[in-house]
Amino acid sequence: MSPHAGLTDKGLLSELAVITGNARTILEWFLGKIGGWHASSSLSALPIVASLYGYWVPRGVSEGVERFVVLSKGHAAPALYAWLVAVGRLGLEELESFARPWSRLQSHPEASRLEGVVLVSSGSLGQGLSIANGLALAARLDGVRREVAVVLGDGELDEGQVWEAASTATALGLDNVLAVVDRNMAQHTGPTEKVKPKEPLREKWEAFGWIVEEARGDVFSIVHALERLSRMRGRPRVLIVRSSVR
Amino acid sequence: MVIVWGGLGSYRRALGEALVEAGKANRSVVVLDADTPRSTGTLVFAEAFPDRFFNVGISEQDLVGTAAGLAVAGKIPVAAAFAVFLMRAWEQIRNTVARDGLNVKLVGTHSGLSDYMDGSSHQCLEDIALTRVLPGFTVVAPADTVATKKIVLEVVLEHKGPVYVRLGRDNAPKIYDSSEEFPIGGSKTLRDGSDVVVFSYGAMLGVALEAARVLEEKGVSIGVVDVYTLKPLDVDNVIRLARRANLVVTLEDHSVHGGLGSIIAETLAEHAPRKLVRIGVRDRFGASSRSYVELLEYMGLTPDKVASRIMEALRCV
Repeated sequence: MSPHAGLTDKGLLSELAVITGNARTILEWFLGKIGGWHASSSLSALPIVASLYGYWVPRGVSEGVERFVVLSKGHAAPALYAWLVAVGRLGLEELESFARPWSRLQSHPEASRLEGVVLVSSGSLGQGLSIANGLALAARLDGVRREVAVVLGDGELDEGQVWEAASTATALGLDNVLAVVDRNMAQHTGPTEKVKPKEPLREKWEAFGWIVEEARGDVFSIVHALERLSRMRGRPRVLIVRSSVR
Repeated sequence: MVIVWGGLGSYRRALGEALVEAGKANRSVVVLDADTPRSTGTLVFAEAFPDRFFNVGISEQDLVGTAAGLAVAGKIPVAAAFAVFLMRAWEQIRNTVARDGLNVKLVGTHSGLSDYMDGSSHQCLEDIALTRVLPGFTVVAPADTVATKKIVLEVVLEHKGPVYVRLGRDNAPKIYDSSEEFPIGGSKTLRDGSDVVVFSYGAMLGVALEAARVLEEKGVSIGVVDVYTLKPLDVDNVIRLARRANLVVTLEDHSVHGGLGSIIAETLAEHAPRKLVRIGVRDRFGASSRSYVELLEYMGLTPDKVASRIMEALRCV
C-alpha cells in the first residue's frame, strides 16, 4: 500500500493496522540499533503518523483535498522513517544511515534532505503550528482546498508559541488546520503532570476556540476520530490522542 | 547631493510605499505584522490589500512561523516588526527560515537609536550581529528613503531567499536621488579620499557624510562608503578602498561587536590589515531621550563628535 492509496472500507483499515504493526516492528528493531533515541516518543507517535500518512492524506487525495502533515515534534523522526520503510518508500538499508552526516535521514527531519516527504524542517519544539497556519492561509488566498495537520507532542505544549499560534488560527478562522496532540503523558524529565501540568487539556484548547476530539493511541480509534473531525468545520480542530506507551 | 543628518525622511513611510508597489506588481506578496502596522508602516499595505495582510497579534515568534508557512506554500511573505522584538524570534528565524532557505523577507524597523523616546528596551543594537551569522541570509540596511524603496522592492520582487532588512524610524538622511540603483551585494563609494575611508550604513551614513564635510574643511582627504549590503559584503570594494587609505573607520548605530565594525575588522584582518577605528555603540545599551539628536549627542555619535574621534585617530596613525 502506498501512502497515497485510498482507504475506503473496513478492509483497508485492517490493512492500515497491519502495516502499522509492521512499522512498529521495524521501529522497535531500529530503536534498539540507535540506543533507544527518543524511543517512547516515537512509539507513541507511530499510530498518529500512520493514520495521517496512511489514511488522512490519501483520503484527501480521493476527495480532491490537498493534505499536508507537519511533524512539529521532530524527535519522532524514527516513527516517520519506520513508516516510510513499512510502506516501501524507503529501503531498510537506508534506515541504517539514520543520523549519519551524509544521510537523508537526519535525526530530526530536514526538508532539504528529504524533499517530497518533509515539507518543513523541525527539531525545535513549538514552531509547527505557526507554520501550519501559514500553509493554511496560503490555501485560502489561492482558493485551494488544502488542510494541514500538525503533530504536536504534549510536552511541546509548554512552548508559548504553540498558544500564540492557537490564538492566531482562531483569530483568522483557519478551519483547515488540524492539530494532533500526542498525549503520551511524558516529557523529557518525567511525567507531564509533574513537570508542568497540561490538564485540563481539552478545556484549554476549547478555551482557545478550537473544536476538540479525543482518541486512543491506535489507528482504529485515531482514524475514526479523524473521520468525525472531517465533518466538523468552522473552527480550527485538535485531536488529542491519549497514547499508551509501554 | 543633499546631506541632511538628524533625520527628515521616514523609513517606515518608504517601506509602506514600497510594499504597496510590490503588492501591485506581484499578487504573491503578502505582509504580516505583530500588531504594530501603524508603527512599522505596513498599514498602507493593509489598506490597499486587506486580503493579503495578516495581523497575528503581539506574537513575534508566531509571526515568523506563519510567514515561514506562507513561504513554503509559494507566497512571498514580508514580516515586519520592531527590530528588537523581531529578534525575539531569532531561533525561529534560524531553525525554520534559514535552515530551509525560505523566501521570507524580515523587516526590522525602529532599529539602532531611531526610537529615541522609547528607550533602551526598544533600541535594537544587535540585529545585524544576530542575522549576519545565519547561513544563506542576506542582510541589507538602506540609508535613506530612496534606498529603502529600491532595496525593499529588489529583495521582495527579485531576490529569492531569506533577507533581513534593517530600517530606522523617521530619522532618514537625504542622500540619493531617485535614479540611484542598489544591486544586492553592492556598496556605494559616495566620496573618495586618501587619508581616511569611513564605512557606514543606514541613518549613520548621513552623520558620516556630515563629519566628512567638517574634516575636509580641516584639510583631511576622506572617503565615505555606503555598505548597504552587510551580507554578502562587497569585499573587493572594501579592500580596494581600505588599501588606499591610512585609516579605516566604521560608523554605525549598532554594537561595534558583531556589526559593521566586526565585519570590516574581519575582512581587513584577512585581506588588508589597516589601522581601524570602530565608532558605534560599544558594549552598552541606549537610553530614552526627548529627541533623536539629543540621543546621538549622549551616545557620542553626532557629526562633530565623530569628526573629532577621527581627527584624534589620524594624529596617532
